[in-house]
Amino acid sequence: MATNSPPSIHHERPPLYRDVTVVKWVVQIVALLLTLGALWFLANQAGDNLRASNVPTDYDFLSVNPGIDLSSGIDTDPDTGGRALWVGMVNTLRMAVAGILVATILGVIVGLARLSNNWLLKKIGTVFVETLRNVPLLVQILFYGAVFASLDRVTADVGPINGWLHISNKGLSMPRAHIADGFYQWAVVLLIGLVVANFLRKRRIAQQDATGEETYPILSAFGLMVVVAIIGWFIHPIFGFIGNIFEALSSLVSSVPETVLQLVIGALCVGSSAYWIRGFLNSRRTPAGLAKLTDDDYFRMIFAAVGGVIGAVFFLVLWPGLSSWMINSASDLFEVLGNKFGNGRSGRPLDVDLPNIVQTGKFPNYGPSGLNFSIGFAAVFFGVVFYTAAFVAEIVRGGILAVPKGQTEAAASLGLRRSTALRRVIIPQALRVMLPPLGNQYLNLTKNTSLAIAVGYSDIVQVGQTVYNQTGKTLPVVSIWMFFYLSCSLSISVIVNFFNVRMKIVER
Amino acid sequence: MQEEDPISVALKEEQVSPNEAPRLSVLQWFRTNLFSNWANAILTILGTLAAFLMLRGVLNFVFSENREWVAVRTNLRALMTLSYPESQYVRVWVALGFVVGLAGLSAGIWSNWGGLPLRRLATWFMGVGGLIALCVVVREPSVIIGTDGKVVRTIEGSPQRESFMDAMVDRSGWWIAAVILLAVGAVLWSRFSSPVRRRGPRAELSITSVVFVGIGLVILSLWVVPYGHYAFVDGTYIAESGTTVAFSTQMPWTVMWVILGLTFLVGRFLRSSRYVGMAKTGSNLLWLICPFALFWVVLRDPALDYGHVMSTDLPMGLAFGLLGGAVLWLLTRSDIGEIGRITATALLVFAVFNWVAAFFGWYPMLQKARISFLLLALAALLAPNFIGDTAKRRQLVLGWLGVMALVHYLATMINTPSTVDLQSDEFLGGLGLTLFVAVIVVILSFPLGVLLALGRTSKFPIFRMLSTSYIEVIRGVPLISVLIFFSVMVPLFLPDGMELAELAAVLTGYTLFSAAYLAENVRGGLQSITKGQYEAADAIGLTAAQRTGFIVLPQALTVSIPQLVGQVISSFKETSLLAIIGLFDFLRVANSVIPAQSEFMGVKREGILVVAMIYFFFNFIISKYSQRLERRVGLGER
Repeated sequence: MATNSPPSIHHERPPLYRDVTVVKWVVQIVALLLTLGALWFLANQAGDNLRASNVPTDYDFLSVNPGIDLSSGIDTDPDTGGRALWVGMVNTLRMAVAGILVATILGVIVGLARLSNNWLLKKIGTVFVETLRNVPLLVQILFYGAVFASLDRVTADVGPINGWLHISNKGLSMPRAHIADGFYQWAVVLLIGLVVANFLRKRRIAQQDATGEETYPILSAFGLMVVVAIIGWFIHPIFGFIGNIFEALSSLVSSVPETVLQLVIGALCVGSSAYWIRGFLNSRRTPAGLAKLTDDDYFRMIFAAVGGVIGAVFFLVLWPGLSSWMINSASDLFEVLGNKFGNGRSGRPLDVDLPNIVQTGKFPNYGPSGLNFSIGFAAVFFGVVFYTAAFVAEIVRGGILAVPKGQTEAAASLGLRRSTALRRVIIPQALRVMLPPLGNQYLNLTKNTSLAIAVGYSDIVQVGQTVYNQTGKTLPVVSIWMFFYLSCSLSISVIVNFFNVRMKIVER
Repeated sequence: MQEEDPISVALKEEQVSPNEAPRLSVLQWFRTNLFSNWANAILTILGTLAAFLMLRGVLNFVFSENREWVAVRTNLRALMTLSYPESQYVRVWVALGFVVGLAGLSAGIWSNWGGLPLRRLATWFMGVGGLIALCVVVREPSVIIGTDGKVVRTIEGSPQRESFMDAMVDRSGWWIAAVILLAVGAVLWSRFSSPVRRRGPRAELSITSVVFVGIGLVILSLWVVPYGHYAFVDGTYIAESGTTVAFSTQMPWTVMWVILGLTFLVGRFLRSSRYVGMAKTGSNLLWLICPFALFWVVLRDPALDYGHVMSTDLPMGLAFGLLGGAVLWLLTRSDIGEIGRITATALLVFAVFNWVAAFFGWYPMLQKARISFLLLALAALLAPNFIGDTAKRRQLVLGWLGVMALVHYLATMINTPSTVDLQSDEFLGGLGLTLFVAVIVVILSFPLGVLLALGRTSKFPIFRMLSTSYIEVIRGVPLISVLIFFSVMVPLFLPDGMELAELAAVLTGYTLFSAAYLAENVRGGLQSITKGQYEAADAIGLTAAQRTGFIVLPQALTVSIPQLVGQVISSFKETSLLAIIGLFDFLRVANSVIPAQSEFMGVKREGILVVAMIYFFFNFIISKYSQRLERRVGLGER
């Protein structure tokens, strides 16, 4: 580089086509333009083709009645396309959350079984893992679906425990605990309790550290939570006034003029690129002043600035509807929240309903009051749980094996009991290793729920497919899928990263 | 290697050094492994109970009188190839024979599987024998079939079962098999039970010969046991007991076995000859080419129009080969200097422009010419690496001629209509389609994945940004949505007049998806290359391309072999998703085609179970092989 060469050497720039910086950036910009051009061309082509076949690409179907029935979910007969997709999303999330919980528990058990010194348990664990992870998930789901479909029909009194648990070829039906009238007010009480309990826990820990006597921080915090929850069960109606606050917020938000938000968004774009450039310059600042910037650095800064301006122009000129959409949805959200807290609500926070069997038409079927799992749900659920559990088991086993044996021995020589050693020495270290791959498996599980389409469980992909079969709007539906799954992936990685950072070894 | 995933390291180490347990008597063994303390004893009892119930459930399911395995037996051909016509079936065998031969050759050249101690063989024999005996006892007695061929039922309507003793007598065949296996195992065990080689080299058998003899025994049994009936002939299902699967496949399978043995011997011979390097390169190339050639040339039997071949295809291929070769010969002159680069860049611009023009339909040009120009541009870009003596220059030109011959041959064959009379749109269905898609996707996604990984780790910010966003977006969405997108949307993206078959569209989508995952695996390998390697390459004056191609990538790919094999397994497993988007892979045959036949209405579970077993078989073998490989790579480092 120029800075290192002694001044006596005659130094001049090479010709333009041999200048590394120029060639590098020309090639990159050409590649970027080619990519953008190809994308633009494809989008244009798709638009033309869709217009030719009289299917304009818009999102109108979200507010039109699609006329479809869903097999399961919070609303099996949705009024609008948007509502249908929402039901699908809730179903996917439901499956993902339940699957992650159960797969983790099962996986930990199997992983520990593979590590136990009991020969039989070890073998059972090995067979479990090897079988389930070598058979494709879809094959497993279809098999479980076929098996469940061959169960007995629903009759008036069916199931192992009549009135509590029913199993048939319509699926599983069991008691359902659900959110009732006063839940949100109760949740406010719980939140306050949580803050107080956390405070108590910290104080107890400090006390224990100071005096050395056992103060049971977790136990006392938990006890306080229970007491608060019980008291809140009876006094929650006093928090009805929170509804008015949300109502006021709603009208406040809707009174924000659109142009102001529009300008704010534009300013944010420009501001963030300016912020990046400032940070970049700061990173090049040495105690002796600003370091010499290479051509590369200038290119980067120019790029950031151009990107910011393009973003601002895009939001200001090309997509002016964004701000009104944001204002409307925020105001709607606050209104819904206000309604949930509404003054008139004073019932119990939670309620339990027993399953019932109703005679609709010719055949008896599960009624809506119980918690019903269709065989589609059961097939997908067992599929993803078993499949993921096999991988989780391997992660658990590897994570625990990754803790050096010396740690166990050191804990023993300190006189820790085996359970304490596990809790305080082994598991924290194993968890640190296990978390990243576990997060990956959770992501995979979430994506794998999309195989529900094969057994007709109404997840987002299945609902989306039904919707675009009805309306022909394939591109919008696919874009909604992408948006949904990308936000799921992002949230899971954010959560896993949060724990990852907390678990990291604190180094000097 | 500095940054390896600690979990895989831990699992690997556990495999490398299994603690050599001291020899115990049976009682001692039980005490230490099953009943070391009361908690363990309880777990053992519960585990035994669970395993017992599980085994019983599986056996009762498989051997239940309600199972219709006949549906699978009748549809074996549909499961393997779907509707490939009977009269042309020899083509399938030829294709299979080619793959088997290649496998034998590669095994001969490469394999070093080592020995299988007879002691372990003895434990396998005893284990299998014991398992059979256990299964025979555990399974519930069969139902009694009356003289009218129907199940005899009790007054309550449940089927009547024979007594336990009768069941044991009925299953005497299984008993005999179990006893023979146990006896053979016990004899072997008693003679070779010491881990020390008491009797010299005979205490070990080579694994290759055990595998070969094992396969041979299975195939020989086709000549003895008339396995199930079948047939799918011209769209109708024939279920006569006379035409057995064994009868119609015993000859081809025996030929396969002989081919395997002969090619293995050829491979062994080549290995010790001086042509070993050439043989290795050759067999690798054949592996790369064979899926394309077998699918489009052998199985389709293209109807060549010799007039067209003579007037267009052959001259074009020759022209590209010779003229391109001449250009490359000139470009590798040692005094070429700057002109070489400028020519290569100009060629690249021209080749890319041809593709753009094709999309907009500006001027017509044969697709083959476009591909050839692009390849020529790439070869010209590589040319500076071959500047030097005549041998090096000849290497490049000969390589170019070979690539041209192959590309033009395949392109001609693919574009020629098939003569095979098909029952449906699907060219090949069933397991054939599954394997084909898996192999093609792995082959095609590899270069793309490596490119993406290089892009993601490159110093060029825009390339990095583009590849990172591509990889993360693709990895964030499920495969099924990508496949649906491609099968539904690709026709919309193409300009007028261009068409892509559904299989091709799906293959494209699957390849693009798989490449993103592969890129992440390769990136792991790239990150393990130390900075010193880059600096050393720079210090001896290698260009960036040479540094990447000869120094960085070989090391990075070696490090990421285990992850790459894992990617192969998951690619293979995910081919099952083809069934959802409407291609007739063998899962779809089991899940939709068989249950729709009038004789086997709704018979689903049997077929799916067979599909699961086939998937398990392939994946288990690959994953065991990968563990072996991993262990070998790991041992090499120590």
